[in-house]
Amino acid sequence: MQSTQINIENSSNIEGLNEVENKPKKKLSYTKWGYIFIASFFVIYLIFTLVPQLLTIYDSFFDYDPFSGILVTDAHPEFCGFLNYQRLFQENALGVIEIYQTIGNTLIMWIIGAIPQMVIALILALIFTSTRLKLKGTGFFKTAFYMPNLIMASAFSALFLMLFSQIGPIYTLFKDMGWIPEHFDFVVNKTSARLMVAFLNFIMWFGNTTILLMAGIQSIDESIFESARIDGASTRRVLFDMTLPLLKPIVVYVLITSMIGGLQMFDVPQVLTNKAKNSGTRTIIMLLNDYLNMKNYGRAGAISVILFIITAVLSIFVFKTINKKEDR
Amino acid sequence: MKKKILCLAAVAAVGLAAGASLTSCSKKEIFHIYAWNTEFQGYFNKYVSDEKNNDDSNAVHHLNGVEVKWTITPSDNGAYQKALDEALANNESFSEDEKVDMFLAEADYILKYVNSDATLDVKTAYGVNDFSQAYKYTVDQVTDTSGVVKGASFQCCPAGLIYRRSIAKAVLGTDDPTEVQKHVATWEKYNETADLMAAAGNKMTASFADTYRVYSNNAASPWVKDNKLEVPAFVNTWMDQAKDQLDKGETTTYGVWDGEKSAEFKKTGKTFCTFGPAWYYNFCMGPAMGNGTASTAPDETKDNYSPDHTWGDWAVVKGPQAYFWGGTWLLGAKGGNNTDLVGKTMNAFLKDEEILKKLVVDDGQFSNNKKVNGAVATENETQKKGNGFLGGQNDTKIWVDMADSIVVKNNTIYDQLCNEGIQTAFGKFLKGELDSKEKVLPEFYADIARSYPTLVIPSSK
Repeated sequence: MQSTQINIENSSNIEGLNEVENKPKKKLSYTKWGYIFIASFFVIYLIFTLVPQLLTIYDSFFDYDPFSGILVTDAHPEFCGFLNYQRLFQENALGVIEIYQTIGNTLIMWIIGAIPQMVIALILALIFTSTRLKLKGTGFFKTAFYMPNLIMASAFSALFLMLFSQIGPIYTLFKDMGWIPEHFDFVVNKTSARLMVAFLNFIMWFGNTTILLMAGIQSIDESIFESARIDGASTRRVLFDMTLPLLKPIVVYVLITSMIGGLQMFDVPQVLTNKAKNSGTRTIIMLLNDYLNMKNYGRAGAISVILFIITAVLSIFVFKTINKKEDR
Repeated sequence: MKKKILCLAAVAAVGLAAGASLTSCSKKEIFHIYAWNTEFQGYFNKYVSDEKNNDDSNAVHHLNGVEVKWTITPSDNGAYQKALDEALANNESFSEDEKVDMFLAEADYILKYVNSDATLDVKTAYGVNDFSQAYKYTVDQVTDTSGVVKGASFQCCPAGLIYRRSIAKAVLGTDDPTEVQKHVATWEKYNETADLMAAAGNKMTASFADTYRVYSNNAASPWVKDNKLEVPAFVNTWMDQAKDQLDKGETTTYGVWDGEKSAEFKKTGKTFCTFGPAWYYNFCMGPAMGNGTASTAPDETKDNYSPDHTWGDWAVVKGPQAYFWGGTWLLGAKGGNNTDLVGKTMNAFLKDEEILKKLVVDDGQFSNNKKVNGAVATENETQKKGNGFLGGQNDTKIWVDMADSIVVKNNTIYDQLCNEGIQTAFGKFLKGELDSKEKVLPEFYADIARSYPTLVIPSSK
């Protein structure tokens, strides 16, 4: 510090600039660069995320006409208060409240896909990181498990659509074996369609979860395991009393991201079952998309707001539960 | 270091060049057409474009030297209408190469565009005035409420029953159209024939919805009246017949456009008939066509040849009820620049006799020009020739006899989603997903209510 001061004094003396001496001491600060570098994120977030989000909320209070822009050119959407929200909770001709039905569908398909995904990913992660087994060629397996994630969800679904279509190989096999009733259609039947969606999501995401969990396990200090082994702890004990509790933050992280992703489930069921108009696999985003397709931005906006609230509540809830346990 | 700078400079130069070519691109004139499939694109390329062919050799086609750009959006679930609505609403503010000049529309939703300000009077805007040879219904369909004509059709679509000759011969003992017509002249006769087909191990149709259009385009009432959804009476008749035929094994649960259905038109298929107009041969019966056309037999030497084709094994008759199906109209978009090209295209398909004759003879289509159709029908009659796909039958004559009586009635702007929706809902029942027929209509109502929230939907409970 001192040497800098001296340098400044020296330089000012040399150049003979007296004003410099009156100036306050110069302090070096790099904070502004930090702000500048992170500003790009905030600017982009503001323009492309926050503003559209606020507009969505605004739109949800207006009544849009399906023929606006073409037949109805001069009419502006009318302000309608909470009418869009109210109508979302009305029964349709089948006596079903579609928003509950779609949220239910989303959750069911997420759960039947996510539970096996977590369990299998955990088993695989444990096997691959086990210092006892010392598996060879884990790199190959990791790549192979991750592969399905690289294929576009829509392409994957289209492939399944063909495999299970009424002239597809799987349909023909099932029919010849007498496993399915006459006129059965995999994408029209509620149960089979849900299972297909869940299975596709499982195949696509279990590799990703495995890699995340492996990273989590590997980040645990190896010496803890060693000392446990020296103390004579069984593999089972090490697993349940050490690995799993220490892995909890990663598991929770995986769970939250999977749940938020699950709530926004769209591409797989859309490609697979939208043409069949299967009401058992219509997810909340598909309902939103149906409204968007008919330019009903009000109703779609209302769904977005509800979905936002659900996601926020769930995330807060999950965060709270981890933090509480970690404090103990 | 020097190398790095050189590299950077090179990259920057490439970037600049790319930027420059982009800006010059956007100034280029482009004839932009919106469509929901490539059917018309094929005829346009072949007959109107500067290149005059539809080969893959041309990446882009031109008209009067102007590049032609096609934006194709499939029409399922109203997706084409949505894309078109967005484009037309903003057409005037689009950049030159984005502006829509012309778009295609079909009867199910055309009224929406005809009665909107987004389309122009073809007479004043494009110089299309001669409708003297066009069929009346094709003009009525694009005439707005104040009497202004907003478009032109390139085809006329009377439709009939298309049957497989070999199956007719085996089961009915004849493949002669006049004789076969007697077996399907009324719905009672049609049902009896269906029973005969099933008894012989065949199916009557390959889709439960094949008969749908025969009923729907003869509907006695519209889908929507005074903003109220009212299911026309034909729906019940159609559903009862289709369910009965499915139970007897005379038809399938495949949809009208499904690949499963068109696979039935192959040599191995056991389906006796289907319903459709002239565009149906090329567009829906691909596996039957092989790589042949109306005037040329399938060619074994070409790559796309398949020995499964049934070219020549078909014929067409009027069937139980005369009807028409589909049709593609060309409409000009407000805000588009290339009015001369729009006019040229429309006029070519309305009155260029040379082009239209090829369209009828080579492609087996039925043009929107009475004179050309009549001439081909007579010429075929005197020279004893006809459509090769139909075993040399003079189908043009059948269409000529039916075309004049086509009347458009009971059209609404809601038709596309209603027609699609009722077929999907009923299909769900046939596939066992809805446990009773009574649930078909509520299922359909729920679907329509999502799409058109302002419509009054009948209470079903």
